Amino acid sequence: MKIVVCIKQVPATNDAKIDPETKRIIREGMKAILNPFDTYAVEEGVQLRDKFGGEVIALSMGPPKAEASLREAISVGVDRAILLSDRAFGGSDTWATSYVLAKAIEKIGDVDLVICGKQAIDGDTAQVGPGIAAHLDWLQATYVMAVEEISSSSIRVKRMHEDGYDICEMSLPAVITVVKDINIPRVPSLKGRLASNKCEIPVWKPDDINADTSKIGLNGSPTRVVKIQPPPPRHTSTKKIEGSSIECAQTLLRELKLRSIV
Amino acid sequence: MIHHIRNKIYHVEVLPPKQDSEKLEKDLEIFSNKYLRVMDSGYCACVTDNAMGLLSFQGTEIIEELDLPVIPEQVMIHLNTFHTKDDLDNILNLCKTKGIMYLLIITGDGSERLPKLHPSDVGATDVESVTSVELLKYINREYPDTFVLGVAFNPYEPEEHELEKMERKIKAGATFIITQPLIERNEIVDRLLEKYPGIPVIVEAWMSRKLHLLSEAVGYEIPENTEFDPISTLKMLHKLYPGCGVYLSLLGFKTQYDLIKDTWV
Repeated sequence: MKIVVCIKQVPATNDAKIDPETKRIIREGMKAILNPFDTYAVEEGVQLRDKFGGEVIALSMGPPKAEASLREAISVGVDRAILLSDRAFGGSDTWATSYVLAKAIEKIGDVDLVICGKQAIDGDTAQVGPGIAAHLDWLQATYVMAVEEISSSSIRVKRMHEDGYDICEMSLPAVITVVKDINIPRVPSLKGRLASNKCEIPVWKPDDINADTSKIGLNGSPTRVVKIQPPPPRHTSTKKIEGSSIECAQTLLRELKLRSIV
Repeated sequence: MIHHIRNKIYHVEVLPPKQDSEKLEKDLEIFSNKYLRVMDSGYCACVTDNAMGLLSFQGTEIIEELDLPVIPEQVMIHLNTFHTKDDLDNILNLCKTKGIMYLLIITGDGSERLPKLHPSDVGATDVESVTSVELLKYINREYPDTFVLGVAFNPYEPEEHELEKMERKIKAGATFIITQPLIERNEIVDRLLEKYPGIPVIVEAWMSRKLHLLSEAVGYEIPENTEFDPISTLKMLHKLYPGCGVYLSLLGFKTQYDLIKDTWV
């Protein structure tokens, strides 16, 4: 089984600064991390490979420093990684990004399953996974919380929604996006981390994936961000609980139960 | 452990490199140098386990990867409850293989990236979450007569609660105790010593001048302008607690290490 896990490097904090002109995140000088939701995708890919054999490949589009996130994926068991990096990719929205990733998946060839995190914490769109499926014309299941069965030709998954969950069966190849209930991502071992530092990570450019340049970067991005504003502040209040420690604990418990927190 | 106290063997904390280190090879070299220096001095190197919830590499995997020597009397591994069952067993098996016998069992500080042991992982049926008590029972049951297990004592928590927890830890098989950092005589520690006269107690000496970190460790605010000299405090702790061992946390290997050999007289 050949599995591709699409990952993204994102700013480490929620205090990302937005360029007022382009409305895009100013990434210079910010600490970057592997998108937390993608760690579940990586873990699922590694677990499926361990169970059914084959190969798991991490794929990312981003600036050269995004290589660090690919190395992180290798350190937890991914077999190899590919970085899609070129100025021409800059400014891509989710549609153009998913086109580039889909073209890279086509070039890798014979891919059975693509796994993405449910969304990236910087854009929060949850569109790239479905976009890849659309470009490849593959079946897709989003918000997957469990892979129940997989064979060489089909996959059965459990996907979450507000009212419960669905069991979906799809033929392969397919794309799934996963939620954090699906597994517990492992922490890199020292051996894995040291090995990942020595790996060669090829960098692919538009020509390498036969990308149509009118479909990448700003030119290939139909999305226009017209306005960005912070969300309204949350209304919070403080309530002081008085009494003995036992009374206070009982009152606190009662309040938490009233709010369905416990 | 009593042998450590009688022979004035310091317990020297050695922090492993963090998972997000951008200069891992250099950090491993620093760890290795510190560890070997502790071995050469005849002290006991104590390697922490994701201290303060900061993701770090495991002491056992570093010792294995760097092929560092293990002198059984001179190595202590901290082990907390934030591991998967597989990781826990790997750590314990590696300790056994390497001859590491001292383990400090703590509940530990979690983080988003650290999975917590489930009660079923350690065969606990009567609790909702795993604490050091359940971990102690598991290790004693699965690895009988293999390890010498210690536990932490926090004199800054409510005394009655902490002593009751200690009773359960002792019943679960703890045979030595390490306190939270002390910077003066502590009446709760005094009562702990009275209650368990036969159990070796090691008091923690805070060797950093960073008082905001000490405030975090002890859980109350120590004003930044407090006059604090770690070496003088260490000497004072020896006088106050002559029957106890000493755990040196955040020891400065460049500036303090050579000074400590004359402090335990």
